[in-house]
Amino acid sequence: MPSDDVLRTHLQELRRGTVVVASLVALRRPDYGYALLQRLTGAGFPVDANTLYPLLRRLEEQGLLTSEWNTEESRPRKFYRTSEEGERVLTRLLDDLAAVQTSMTALIEGADR
Amino acid sequence: MTTLTDRYVAATLRSVAAARREEIAAELRASIEDMIEGRTAGGQDPATAEREVLTELGNPAELAARYTDRRLQLIGPTYYLAWQRLLTRLLSFVPATVGTVVGVIAAVDEKTTGGAVGQGITTALQVALHICFWVTLVFAFLERTNAAQHLPKWTVDQLPKERVDRQITLADTAGAIAWIGLVIAYLPLQRYRSFVTDTDGGNLPVFDPALWSFWLPFLIAMLVANAGLELAKYRVGHWTWPLAAANAVLTLAVAVPVVWLLQTDRLLNPDLVARFDWLQQGSNLDAVTALAAGGTILVVLWEIGYGVVKAYRNRR
Repeated sequence: MPSDDVLRTHLQELRRGTVVVASLVALRRPDYGYALLQRLTGAGFPVDANTLYPLLRRLEEQGLLTSEWNTEESRPRKFYRTSEEGERVLTRLLDDLAAVQTSMTALIEGADR
Repeated sequence: MTTLTDRYVAATLRSVAAARREEIAAELRASIEDMIEGRTAGGQDPATAEREVLTELGNPAELAARYTDRRLQLIGPTYYLAWQRLLTRLLSFVPATVGTVVGVIAAVDEKTTGGAVGQGITTALQVALHICFWVTLVFAFLERTNAAQHLPKWTVDQLPKERVDRQITLADTAGAIAWIGLVIAYLPLQRYRSFVTDTDGGNLPVFDPALWSFWLPFLIAMLVANAGLELAKYRVGHWTWPLAAANAVLTLAVAVPVVWLLQTDRLLNPDLVARFDWLQQGSNLDAVTALAAGGTILVVLWEIGYGVVKAYRNRR
């Protein structure tokens, strides 16, 4: 049985890239930081707040997200939305994720046990 | 009133560029308030909720680094090996060379050998410190300017020509033999020029001249044997049990007589002890011999242990 630390590191590595993909998918419907955090967690993508908030800004700087301040509610919130550019990148990322899944399935089935 | 949230936001913004500060502040504050609200809605009291949320967000300096993509390391993996290689290469000869040159010049100039040696050592240490500082500074700067592309790529031709299992390098052996040579040279030299003078300025040998009848020649012979062992170690290339055993025997052959002579007050020249008033006072001489004996024993344990551990790791 590997130690908990080893397992945790590998799981972290495995999950790292999926946060970006999940965010781009989720933000096809505009949302603000905390609500997105809740939605991702609910959908099975637990992510730390101190990872997600800086990540949103970085994706915005890369042009994959657009943002807009919403001042209608009790406090002003910054709403993010996946941009056209973000959508193109997301398509590639989802293709690749599917390819990884296919390859992995083939490998599992082909491997002698 | 300043709340914990105010202080947290301010602490985060400290290292964020001014142009982006206001927007990050507004967004971060809203996010924190949303998070607190999420917890109080579940029945938690606001003060505890605030503490927990800020704890969850963690060290503000770390969060700020994530916002700004700042490096939280002085020298990262891109540069670490180049930094280490350059530093060890420079440290291996520059301080010693400069120190020796300065020491020789000082000796010629002032005619006092002790002062010249001190000056040489001080200079060498200063040069080493400067090398460490400036080399690190340059690499820390490169790390932050992302100029990584200019590093030479690794090629197969850089592979060392030596055998993989060589533990004992030529530099180790040369260093060890040079050191033994210096000690051997000092033993006869100190009879005529020990760098310690009596009250009239004449030479004062460090070791008891009576020891020349047997013990000093014996120690010299054992040191020569130690030098021979260094050569044997280099020829074999790695530690083996016979080498570790020979190392233990020869180390003890030097150390045991030295400690024993020290403890029986026969090692140091009685005239030398008489020359320094401080050594006469109270138990000062005993303290010095105990310290020297203790130091010798530590060195011996290290020497023997090192050989045994290396040989143990090489066992098949």
